[in-house]
Amino acid sequence: MRRTFDTGNAAITEGAILAGCRVFAGYPITPATEIAENMSRRLPQVGGTYVQAEDECAALHVCNGAALGGLKAMTATSGPGFILLSDPFGWAISAEIPVVIVDAQRVGPVSGITGAPGQGEFYLSRYLAHGGNYETIVLAPSSVQEAFRLTVRAFELAERFRTPVTLLADQMVTDGWEGLELPETAEEARAMGLRVVERRAHPGPDFYPATDAIDVPPVVLGRGTGAACSDWTPDERGLDTEAVEAQHRHAHRLIHKIRSHRELIAEHEALALDDSPDLILVAYGTPARVMKSAVAAARARGLRVGGLRLVSLWPFPDALFSRPARYLTVELNWDGQLVREVRRAAGAGAKVHFLGRCGELPSVTEIVEAAELLLGGGTLRRRGWDAEAW
Amino acid sequence: MDPLAERYLRPEKWPGTACPGCGLRLLVREILESLDGLGLGLDDLVWGTAIGCTGRQTFAAWRGDAFAGTHGRVYALATGLRLALPPEKRILLTVGDGDAFTIGLPHLLAAARRNVDLTVVVGDNLGYQSTGGQFGVTTPPGSRTDSSPYGTWEPSWADEGLDVLGIVREAGAAFLARHTIYDRAGVVESVKAALCTRGFSLVHVYYPCHVHFGAQALGSDDLGLIARWMRQQYGATGVLYDARGRRAEFTERLRRHVAAVQGGGSGHGG
Repeated sequence: MRRTFDTGNAAITEGAILAGCRVFAGYPITPATEIAENMSRRLPQVGGTYVQAEDECAALHVCNGAALGGLKAMTATSGPGFILLSDPFGWAISAEIPVVIVDAQRVGPVSGITGAPGQGEFYLSRYLAHGGNYETIVLAPSSVQEAFRLTVRAFELAERFRTPVTLLADQMVTDGWEGLELPETAEEARAMGLRVVERRAHPGPDFYPATDAIDVPPVVLGRGTGAACSDWTPDERGLDTEAVEAQHRHAHRLIHKIRSHRELIAEHEALALDDSPDLILVAYGTPARVMKSAVAAARARGLRVGGLRLVSLWPFPDALFSRPARYLTVELNWDGQLVREVRRAAGAGAKVHFLGRCGELPSVTEIVEAAELLLGGGTLRRRGWDAEAW
Repeated sequence: MDPLAERYLRPEKWPGTACPGCGLRLLVREILESLDGLGLGLDDLVWGTAIGCTGRQTFAAWRGDAFAGTHGRVYALATGLRLALPPEKRILLTVGDGDAFTIGLPHLLAAARRNVDLTVVVGDNLGYQSTGGQFGVTTPPGSRTDSSPYGTWEPSWADEGLDVLGIVREAGAAFLARHTIYDRAGVVESVKAALCTRGFSLVHVYYPCHVHFGAQALGSDDLGLIARWMRQQYGATGVLYDARGRRAEFTERLRRHVAAVQGGGSGHGG
């Protein structure tokens, strides 16, 4: 085991290399540039390729092309580049291409503030492609070590589900420095729960089976299988068709290959939930670390508060929100995104509240005060320009 | 079915869904003659396409491995594919004038700059015909189309001495040729030369759309009329630029770079 002190960007780089990523294409953008820089240094050492693309859209297309040729590939970006991935992301969704995308969320909208953390792309990560008719996998690290593990995991899920997987990080995770343990042998990697799925190639002829099965090898060109691969609605052989029935089968597969196996993706951390707390705090990414401290602080004050740290965001873990409790999401945005999904999952009549900030973290004290107010029957209110809450 | 089509194309994709009389079929036939002339088989070439008449109508016609990218982005997709395929595997892209010269131009130029080993055949039907006939950047000046009912007024790359292939040449392409579809021997020879280029090659082929362009801009959907007009309009064609072997190909440079880094050098690929 190699013990080091490094950034989330470095952790993501090493996770990708371990997972077998041999092509990285990207475009410099704060706060994800360091992943590109690290990849440009590390990939040639392992026989891989760094491509500095002409824009983010091209970057993911280059990754898709490399994946289509049988290589594992990744791109990394932030908000203004993430939106430009929409076109190749949709292509990879429909053509069922395993590829990994990192989004280091910063403050928006649009260019916003480059060097401060935000969580404004929760829904964008779910709906990045136009046209609907798909489900997607999004994972959210909240530490440097977890960024390493989830990068390896993202590659594993991409291969198994034949789909792009997004690592939705934030600027504090990618830029932040922390202790990082890196396995040096395959045994150490296994002991850390890391799994590497080798790339396989579909033998044909039914490259796009009408089932929700996973572990179907992806289409790989150049093997003489007569594969056809595109973003048109495919028939089972991959040929474009205008048949509505074929579209139904394709969309059904894209949605249900993921939803039917959601238990293989779902991951969360439960905090003090054993005694059916009255209030459950919900967060992902860096704010989840403050939330964790807030749960401990609230408990120390005798408040029946628990917490849910979401690690897999999409498919959304609806089942976690069936408890008869109030929920309070803590998010790095002012408009409230995670809260809407928790409200939907918790169902009509559930009390779901929001505490938002952006560009900086909320304090433990402010979260505990909000919890206390809610448990005392009070109402969270927007506090001028300082905090958005309801 | 003709023997070349039988050998190279999927029967359910030929003659395909292009309009009756569309020049695209002749272009595909010419490309097949080039492949046959080079003795290439189904496993030797991966055939990529894009959107529009040229892209949509040629997707997966090839019985070998085939792919289609989004509009204008197939050059980036093919660059990634080139990284993964062995050098002897050829990549051919059949795309339209809109895909290559408008929405996809920055990506096409990036592929030319890198000198990626790709052969791009631009089937140019003088505008956006699959959407019903709107002008593009190679539509002759003053043409009436569905989006220029009074005639085009915006400068194009077919106007005032401008030529989009000049941009592609300056971007670093290794081989450039231009023909009309009627110069059958010329197209076949240029596509053969392009496919034998280790680097970025492009063959620009004008083909007639009598249904939209002919009817709108020439006032007639007569195939003979558009053929005569096109021969006259684009008479002086052939190989425009041949710099084969002058610049190292993208993946060659890459292999040298990786070898240098692994050997402890600076990795300057030269």
